[in-house]
Amino acid sequence: MRTAHTSTGPDPIVSALAADRLGAPSVVYFVLSAAAPLTVVAGVVTTAYAVTGITGLPVAFLAVGAVLALFAVGYVAMARHMANAGAFYTYVSRGLGRPAGIAAAWVALIAYNALQVGLYGAFGAAATPLVERWAGVTPPWWAVSLVAWALVALLGLMRVDLNGRLLAVLLTAEVAVILLFDAADLVASGPAGLSAAPLSPGGLLAPGVGALVVIATLGFVGFESAVVFSEESRDPRRTVPVATYTSIAVIAGLYALSAWAMTVATGPANIVETARRDGAETIFVIAAAQLGPVVVDIARVLFVTSLFAAMVSFHNTTSRYFFALGRERVLPAAFGRIRPRTGAPQAGSLAQSAVGLLVIVLYAVLGLDPLVHLFFYGGAFGGFGVLLLVFTTSIAVIAFFSREPSGESVGRRLVAPVPAAVALGVMVTLAVGNFSALLGVEEGHPLTWLLPAVYVAAAVVGLAWAFVLRAGQPAVYSRVGLGAKAATVQEEIR
Amino acid sequence: MLADDFFLIAWDTTGSGKPRLNGPALALGLAGALIAELVLEHRVLVRGVSLQVTDPRPVREHLADRILADIGNAPQHTDVRTWLAYLARRAVADVTARMARAGLLDRETTRMRRRRPSRYFATDFGRAVWPSTRLRLSLARGRPLSHDDMVLAALLDACGMTDTVVEDPDHRQAARRRLAGMLTALPEPVGDLTRHVRAAVGDAVLTYRS
Repeated sequence: MRTAHTSTGPDPIVSALAADRLGAPSVVYFVLSAAAPLTVVAGVVTTAYAVTGITGLPVAFLAVGAVLALFAVGYVAMARHMANAGAFYTYVSRGLGRPAGIAAAWVALIAYNALQVGLYGAFGAAATPLVERWAGVTPPWWAVSLVAWALVALLGLMRVDLNGRLLAVLLTAEVAVILLFDAADLVASGPAGLSAAPLSPGGLLAPGVGALVVIATLGFVGFESAVVFSEESRDPRRTVPVATYTSIAVIAGLYALSAWAMTVATGPANIVETARRDGAETIFVIAAAQLGPVVVDIARVLFVTSLFAAMVSFHNTTSRYFFALGRERVLPAAFGRIRPRTGAPQAGSLAQSAVGLLVIVLYAVLGLDPLVHLFFYGGAFGGFGVLLLVFTTSIAVIAFFSREPSGESVGRRLVAPVPAAVALGVMVTLAVGNFSALLGVEEGHPLTWLLPAVYVAAAVVGLAWAFVLRAGQPAVYSRVGLGAKAATVQEEIR
Repeated sequence: MLADDFFLIAWDTTGSGKPRLNGPALALGLAGALIAELVLEHRVLVRGVSLQVTDPRPVREHLADRILADIGNAPQHTDVRTWLAYLARRAVADVTARMARAGLLDRETTRMRRRRPSRYFATDFGRAVWPSTRLRLSLARGRPLSHDDMVLAALLDACGMTDTVVEDPDHRQAARRRLAGMLTALPEPVGDLTRHVRAAVGDAVLTYRS
């Protein structure tokens, strides 16, 4: 039998629970493997050069990273005072009220679905050349995407999140390949030598900078998820902030370096032409000269696995969003049920898969380009949605701490959050103003107002729904923003 | 015992020998059932988010007494979620060991599949299927439930097992309605406990990692 422990001895309960908890390095790995660096470097960066024709992307990664780091000060501080430190909408509910929270939740659902579905386009574009070379047949991109879609749908229901160790190995290999490519690009500097022009802050004053801001934000998506592990981390006050700042720093450094190295290899004047010509092959074509075909083939395979890992990760993020909202009863209760044997959020997973299938079929039927129209537009649209969420959350942080200082220092409550909110506001304004540059279409193209309008509509419907709930179902309304913990207040309200 | 019955429903001990419920939910459900055993014996009280020992006398059952001693020895920990997380770590091992001692369960030892979960088989078919039969008859057909079985049904529902218990889709609508009525009628301590299990299972879905 156990004996009573003296108060000076180690607490057996605390040490038993601590054994399973996460340290900062593990959390950083989770965040970065969801961010899938090679997907961004080989897919987003190159397509961004091709579509926008602007070369200031490297410095944009650094600038956006700095703004997000500033934002993170208040964000991780507020996370400590949240019962449910989950997604952005929970912060908005707490800081700006439940109607704004529901509006944010719907914006988030659309944005994360767009990000996930966009990846099917890149996967089709990147995997088809490999299939062609190894199997000798040339399937249409959508056939390859549909195979990936079926796998993701199945894994989502079986709740086979890709094995953590496998993801860590893939992430390490991806980063190694990116750094190797960067080194090769820099060694073989092109016509302009080691030109630092794309890194100069002057790039931020160029026309169309709003497009760069959205693309850079897209690269950082996932940095917000470290707070999800608050309750599971060894020391939430330290682990979560350290993991969040580290992730932002690593992402900013890696992407800025890679985006810059590409321009060095081709010369800043030629990167746009090169990217337009080679599409998803750009970084492989650039690197092939220095590194030889074997390394480049390994990188191609890693690009495809990176895309797949990102698809699974975003699929799960999105279905958990559906699940949390189902548990709060903001969405129908069916979304809050779990598949018993696997523990998968069943309805959310099916809903996300349905969206994916619909979009792939639609693009195939309309004959649209998988890389530009699906991957890049999906990413840009989703990235813009995430930027809106970060901006709204930054205001929610200030509002929350002005009501409840919660013992946090003035630096965390005001000094960092206010400039962060102002900078994010400027970023949103620039993004809206430069939407045509972001999509690479002429001014006044219907898409430049249609896509932002989708979020406005979602927010308006969300607000309206909030007032309907408040009037008709106050018990549901009171649970908004609690996530899975909504279950604990169920009966007290009734 | 409540946790034994929970195990017999959540684990396919008469067929494949494998769990019917995913790992985190199974562990949390069993942890909840172990606490509920002490609540039903009036040894532990759950109120809101906190839990405390109200009567330290042993209940003369090895596992329940060990847990009672653990809770009694750590009065600084009153959070229900802390105890659910703590007990969940060993809940499957603890409950299966207790059932094996009582001769209810055989564990299949596998040398080939050492890293895979063990398989468990019931020694008595009738005993193994009785808890789920009892709940199915009540939830689907409206037979009255004992107090202990109400707690069992509430815990299973918190883990998302209601549809597994009520196999016939035609009866699920009615079962959910009966269950909802029953959940509101549960006395506070067990009601609060099952709500915490439900929240913990939900949080496990949201923070799942492999």
